[in-house]
Order: sequence, then structure tokens, then C-alpha cells
Amino acid sequence: MARLAAVPARHARFVEEKHLAALATPIEAHGELVYRRPAYLEKITTAPAPERLVVDGATLRFEHDGRVETFDLTARPELAALVEAVRGTLAGDLAGLGASYAVALAGDEGAWRLSLTPRTVALARLLRLVAVEGHGAEPERIDIIEADGDTARMRITPLP
Amino acid sequence: MSRPLRPLVALLVAAALLGGVFARVDLRADMADLLPQGVSLSQRLVLDTLREGAAATLVLIGIEGAPEPELARLARDLAARLAASGAFRLVADGSAGADPAALEPLFRYRYLLAPVPPEAFAAPGLHAALPGLLAGLGSSAAPLVKRYGLADPPGVFRTVLAAWAGEGRLRRSHGAWFAPDRPAGQPRALLLAQTAGGGLDSGGAALATIRTAFAALSHGTALGTPRLLLAGPPVFAAEAAAAMRADAHRLTLISALSVLALLLWRFRSPAVLAVVLIPLLASLAAAALAVQLAFGFVHVVTLGFGMTMLGVTVDYPVLLIGHRKQGEAQAGTLRRIGPAFALAVLCAALGLTSMLGSAFPGLAQLGLFALTGVVTAAAVTRFALAPLIVAAGLAPVPLRAPERLLRIERLRRGRLWALVPVGAALGLLAGPHGLKLETDLARLSPVPPAALALDAELRAELGAPDMGEILLVPGPDLDSVLAAEEALMPRIAGLEAAGRIAPVALAARLLPSQATQRARQAALPDAATLAAAVSGAIAGTPFRAAAFAPFEADVAASRALVPLQPQDLNPFLAARLAPLVLKVGGSRAGGSSEGERWFGVIAPASAADGAVLADALGATPGGPSGLMRLAVKATADALLAAYTAQAWRWLAGGGLAVLAALALFLRDPARVAGVLGAIAAAILLTLAVLAAAGVRLTLFHLVALQLMAGVGLDYALFFARRQLDAEERARTLSTLALCNAMTLATFGVLALSRTPVLRGIGATVTVGALAAMVFAFLFAGERPATISLSERTQDDPWPR
Repeated sequence: MARLAAVPARHARFVEEKHLAALATPIEAHGELVYRRPAYLEKITTAPAPERLVVDGATLRFEHDGRVETFDLTARPELAALVEAVRGTLAGDLAGLGASYAVALAGDEGAWRLSLTPRTVALARLLRLVAVEGHGAEPERIDIIEADGDTARMRITPLP
Repeated sequence: MSRPLRPLVALLVAAALLGGVFARVDLRADMADLLPQGVSLSQRLVLDTLREGAAATLVLIGIEGAPEPELARLARDLAARLAASGAFRLVADGSAGADPAALEPLFRYRYLLAPVPPEAFAAPGLHAALPGLLAGLGSSAAPLVKRYGLADPPGVFRTVLAAWAGEGRLRRSHGAWFAPDRPAGQPRALLLAQTAGGGLDSGGAALATIRTAFAALSHGTALGTPRLLLAGPPVFAAEAAAAMRADAHRLTLISALSVLALLLWRFRSPAVLAVVLIPLLASLAAAALAVQLAFGFVHVVTLGFGMTMLGVTVDYPVLLIGHRKQGEAQAGTLRRIGPAFALAVLCAALGLTSMLGSAFPGLAQLGLFALTGVVTAAAVTRFALAPLIVAAGLAPVPLRAPERLLRIERLRRGRLWALVPVGAALGLLAGPHGLKLETDLARLSPVPPAALALDAELRAELGAPDMGEILLVPGPDLDSVLAAEEALMPRIAGLEAAGRIAPVALAARLLPSQATQRARQAALPDAATLAAAVSGAIAGTPFRAAAFAPFEADVAASRALVPLQPQDLNPFLAARLAPLVLKVGGSRAGGSSEGERWFGVIAPASAADGAVLADALGATPGGPSGLMRLAVKATADALLAAYTAQAWRWLAGGGLAVLAALALFLRDPARVAGVLGAIAAAILLTLAVLAAAGVRLTLFHLVALQLMAGVGLDYALFFARRQLDAEERARTLSTLALCNAMTLATFGVLALSRTPVLRGIGATVTVGALAAMVFAFLFAGERPATISLSERTQDDPWPR
């Protein structure tokens, strides 16, 4: 985690595959991720529909369909915890993650796996598990299992 | 008792009398007590309820002067602090609408609260909604789409939310409301708060809470210099009271000091100060007592204006002392000034009597107050002060040789030149820029125009109607009102769709009547029909049938719901509905009781919209049964115009009475003409100055003109006394100059007031008193003979 914490900024491509109970086929999305220490995270989706999600500090901005919505994360602890699962991992902030999740780290520097299990009932109503796998300072895969069993797998490839 | 102490003792007696009266007077501050009862009973009930209700307790809050995120933070934190303070019934900012728990009932009752076309539940309608849902599931908003989208493919919840959110033109950003159409780089965050209690005091406390909370939140912020903007009725009430109080303290001090300085300079005796105050205090006591006895209460406005008007009664003792020769017995002074003094008081009383007949209770009260005060002050001066000043040995400093007087009096030889400005004034008044009467009641408001402008701006930005014109949909209970509104809705929607009116909020758009909710329930498909429609819709799409299980379950549950009742609404939703309905009479605890009536309140965005709506819906100003049009502002303005016109007629009547008195007592037509000419010239010039300054005449100007005419009449009658020796003429000139200087000091200071009404009175009286002094000197006094250094001595002041 210390290696993760040492990276000041990241720029990566992502491919996300969602398996939803509502749909017989998975949905695939792709785009780019931008992270800057300490608290800036941007997810730009280019397909299937363009959208942009920016988290800066405690503010979340969501742009889609030509509309902009802004949320105050301090007023929405569940949303904040969801964001933190990704942002906290990229920041290598184990202590911060520990506030909302029971954190388990397995493997070694060559191949590690970080498992986050919700600590609160409210969060558990949304999420069952967040698992991040990677090697060295590079996270490669983020798996999210929602409370209703729907899953999302995001593969991450660093960009120069 | 030593003689110099007597004035002091008399002053203490007068002060004690005043204190005793004021301790027993019922002082009231509600403006409603001053207004005429000229509207129908039901309108009055509605007006009263509105005055105490939601509209009257609404505080509009704006924050500007910082970048948007910082403003949003301040707005959110301020809203949280205000909500926690307990001083507010409701605090609304951009974040409140998004509280999922408060909105949950709207989701549960969605198929009863909003219209759904039947085809939305059929296979083709459902199929058309699927691409949107699929896109949503692919986006980052997928959790919301899963929760609300799959359970509501027709998207009815969005319609319900839009109606209840009622955000109008507001822009939402960073979790706060922002004003639309602001210049670039000058964002303004907006909030609404409703004070918990009615009345001035709780309003003031609530405002203090807002200011304190904002100061604490904005303290030390590095991002810009945030400013707090406040408007709304509670702000006006508190600000007007504070401004008047501050003005009163500051201005009273300044004018009292200048008057004292003038008196000391002229009479060189502190005892004169006591003597001058005695009739004033006695007149205030008598005036307050008379009003209390006649009306059962004294209004603070009556007291404020009344004290201003009675302020000029300090002229009476000054006239008496100023005309006394050193060491003279009272009979001598009284013989010289008695008749003029008595006639001046009689004319003032006749002029004020005209106000007694006004149907405007505020004016009638003021008339009685001033009349009683003037007569009392005169009587106290004549019967108590005359012996007192002899006993205390008060008299003006003897003047030097009359040479200067004669030089001044020579000015009268060219007095016809003074007709030039009078002619010019007449010309101006007769021309296109002549006098205009104020017909807008709002201008009489003690609220500064800048505050009114800010209120209008914030109201427009928040989309809050100004309640100037409303339509009322009556009914025996709330459900009947909702049903009646539903009957009007097609026509209203037609006007909105055609762009003839801006959208209006209706209670029935938020909460439909029980009958409508039941009809919507009955139109919902049964489980088997819906299941068939869903499987038909999803054929050939990635959707599984199970995805819409929540939708099918919710439709089935909706068919079994008991329709949503107003009393079942949670506090957040109830507060949203509250401004749109009005309960008059009955118990406040709720439930239907005897004499209770309900009204749906439709508040159009503008007066023009109100006219269009009323026209299209056939609303009338009267009828208790049908749709009522209540033009709050127009009604009040029309009343004001009627009472202003009536007051001018009464004033004219008073003027005729004064004319008759002058003719009867002065007899000499030349003298009557001189006195009247001087007053008329002064009034004309004052009106012309007001017209040139673009001032519209209000009732308060009328009061001021009357005051000024009374003062001018004093001057003219004293100048018009039959020519006496040069020494007496010099006494008259210097005493009247002193009276004039005191009036100018008092009202000139008033003209500096921040309160428009006080400023208007001050300016009018200042200009008028100065003009009256000049014209009275020129026209009422005798023109000196071309070659005359010989003085006629005449003990009898009136010609026989």
C-alpha cells in the first residue's frame, strides 16, 4: 500500500463489465480514469454513452445527457463510502478505508488483493464486497459486488 | 416658593401628568388597526389570515460575493444551522428537496398523484421506455435507475417530483439553489426560511439568528467576501422599526439641541426652556387621553406623527414671551397679541377639525390628537404661562434701534415682485409636470425603496409570487377545494401552454382530490394484464422479466392504497402544500369544524397574469361561493386613492371654515386678502417645489401641508396686526423669525431621515414654513409709507 501511496498522479484506460440481474446480457463500458493526490478522481466514460464523473474533495459532479448534477458527499455517507473504495485504494490510504470497511490484504508485492467489506448496515444494503487486485504500485482490477448480487468488474491499464 | 423655581415646578407637574396618561394609554402597533374596514368580510378574513400566514413569515435569503462552491457551502451550512435553531418553521435550500426519506411517500403514491396515460402500461408504451432504462443501467447512475427506474418505467415519479419540487427557474448547483440570469462571475445562492412565530418580535429574533449564523459561517473565509441579503415581510417590519427608532433618537437629539440653543440665545434664561416645554407636555397628555377615550387605543403612528405636529406648539409660549416688554404685567402683552393669538388657534383648530371626518381611521385619530393638543397648548399658554412668565420675569433681550427693522420693512415696497415666483409656481402646477397624487400604497411604506427593490429581485429569482393579486378557490373542506381546482386545471394548463401566463402552482397539482386518486387507481391494470404487457414489451431486448417485478408489485400495491390525505403528509411535504391552501375560521387543531372554510390559493407570477387568469376563469372580486379574485394590492391602492381624494375635500372644507373665521374676525378685506394671499402663495410655492422634485403627493404630504399652513397662518396673523410702534414690530419680526428658525431646525432635520414618510413631511414643512415666513412678512404686514419716519402709536391692534 505504501507503493500505491507514493504515486502522485495516475492516468489509465478502463473497461468495465456489468452483470445485472435485470439483463440477460452484460453491459460493457470503457473510458479513462484520472487520479491526482490527494482527493481528485475523474471517470470519463466514452461508450456506450458519454458521461463524466468528477470527485474533488467532498463534491461529486456528474455530467450526462447534457445535464450537470452536483452532490455533497458529506451529506451522503453511502455515496462517499462508494467513492472512497476506489479513491482510497488509489491513494493507498488504509486508515481512511478502515473507517467504512473491514480491510483485508492478501498476497505479496508481485500480486496482491485488497478486500473491502462494509462495516455499516447502511452501506451493506448497497454493497457486499469491493475487491482490488494488482501488482506493485499498479491496481489492475476492481470488482464490485452489490448487495443484490449484481457485479461490476473494471480492468485498468495505465496510460503513459 | 422663589419665583424662578415656579416654571420648574409647573414643568414637573406637566411631566407627571404626561407620564400618568402614557402609563394608562393602550398603545398599539399593528398597521391593520390604521386601515379602513372597506373590504367585504370574507376578503378581510382572507387578508388577515394571509397577513399572519405563510406569506407574512417568509424570509428570502441571498448570499453573494464569493465563488459558487463557497456560496453553496455557506447556503447549506446556514440552512442546517437555521433548521437546528428552532426559530424557523421551515428552511428550504437546494439540498432539502433531495432528502430521499421525506420524498418516499411521493414514490409510493406516484400512480395516484400524477396522471398516467393508459398506453404507458401497455406493451408498446413500456417497450418505448426500455432504451432509456438500458442507457441508465450502463451509466454511473445505475444504482438509482435500478431503484427508481425499473420500478417505474413510465417515469411518473419524475412528474410527481417536478410538481412538488416547484423550483421554478432556480438553478441547482453544488447542492444549493442559485439565481438564474445573474451576470457572469456574480453568482447568488438562495434560500427560503419561514419564521416560527408571527409578529414583529419573533421576526426580529429570527433575523438576528440568521445574521449571527451567517457571520459565524463566513468568518475567516479566504474565498471572496460573502454578503448576506435578506428580504421579505419580517425583514421589512424589523428594518422599518429599527430605522424609525434610530432616526427618532438621532434626529430628536439634533433638533432638540438646535431649538434649545435658539431659545437660550434669544431669551438668555434657562427658565424659558421649562416654560416652553410646559404647554407641549400638557398638550401631548391631553391629546393621548382624548384619542384613548374616543378610539379605545392610541396607535404608535398617531403618536409619532402627532408629536411631530404638536412640536410646533412650542411657538405659542415663544410668541407670548417674545412679545413681552421687560417688566410688563400680563395684561399689556395680552392686549397686543391676544386677538391675533386667539384667531391663529381658532384657525388651526378649524383646519384640524376637517381631519376628524376622515373615514381613514389613522387620519381621524391623528386629527383628534392634533386638535386636542393644539387647543390644550394654547389654553395652557394663555391661562397658565401668562402669569408664570411674569412671575419668572421672562422677556426677550431688548432690541437695538429700529433702524434695521425699518430697512428690512422697506423690502415690502417691492413686494409685488414676489408675485413672480408665485406665478411661476402656478404655471408649473398647471403644466404637464404638475402635481400627481400617489396611488401606490407601497410608497407609503416606511420600507426604504432599496429594500423593496431587493425583495422584488429575490422574489423574481426564487419564483415566489408577490401575493399582490391572488385567486381563491373556496370550498367547505380541503378535498372540495382540490376538486374545484381540478375542474379549473384544463383551462389553466391551456393558458400556460399557450404562453399567456407563467406556470402557477396549484394545490391540486401536488395533491389530487380523493375522487381523482380513486379514479387513477381504478384505471391501473390488474396483475395479469400488466405481466402480459411487460413480457410483450421485453421480447427481443436484453431485459429479463424479473427486472420489472418491483414495477408490477408497486402497481398492484397502488391499486390497494388508501388515497393520500393531507393530514398524512410528513412535515416536509405539508410545508410545501401549506402556502397553496388557506383555512379561515374553525379550530386551528384541524378536523372539520363549524364555520370553517377552505380556500385554494392561486398566486399568479404577476398582476398581468392575474388579470388573464381571472378573466379566463370568470373570477369576481365579490361572491363568497364562486371563484374569488382578490387584488390585494389593487384593492388597497383603490382604497388609498379614495381616502386621499376624500382627505383633500375635507382639507378644502377646513380651508373654507378658516376663510370664514378670518373674514368674521379680521373684517378688513385688505387684511384678509393679505393673510390669505401669503398662505396661498406659500402653499403654491411648496407644491411647485414638490412637483418639480417629482414627488407624488401622499396623505402624509397632506398632513405636512396642513401643518405648514397652520404655522404660516400664525406668522401672517401676527404680521397683520394693525401697525404698532416700531419697537413692537421689531419684537414681532424677531419672535416670528425665532419661531421660524425653530420650525426649520426641527423639520429640516426630519428631512434628513432615512424613512421616506418622515423625509417627505420634513421637506414639505421646511420649504413651506420658509416660504410662509417670507410671504407673510411681505403680504400680511403693512407696506411702509414712501416717506415715513414718524411712528404711529396704536394700542388697539384691530381696526374698528
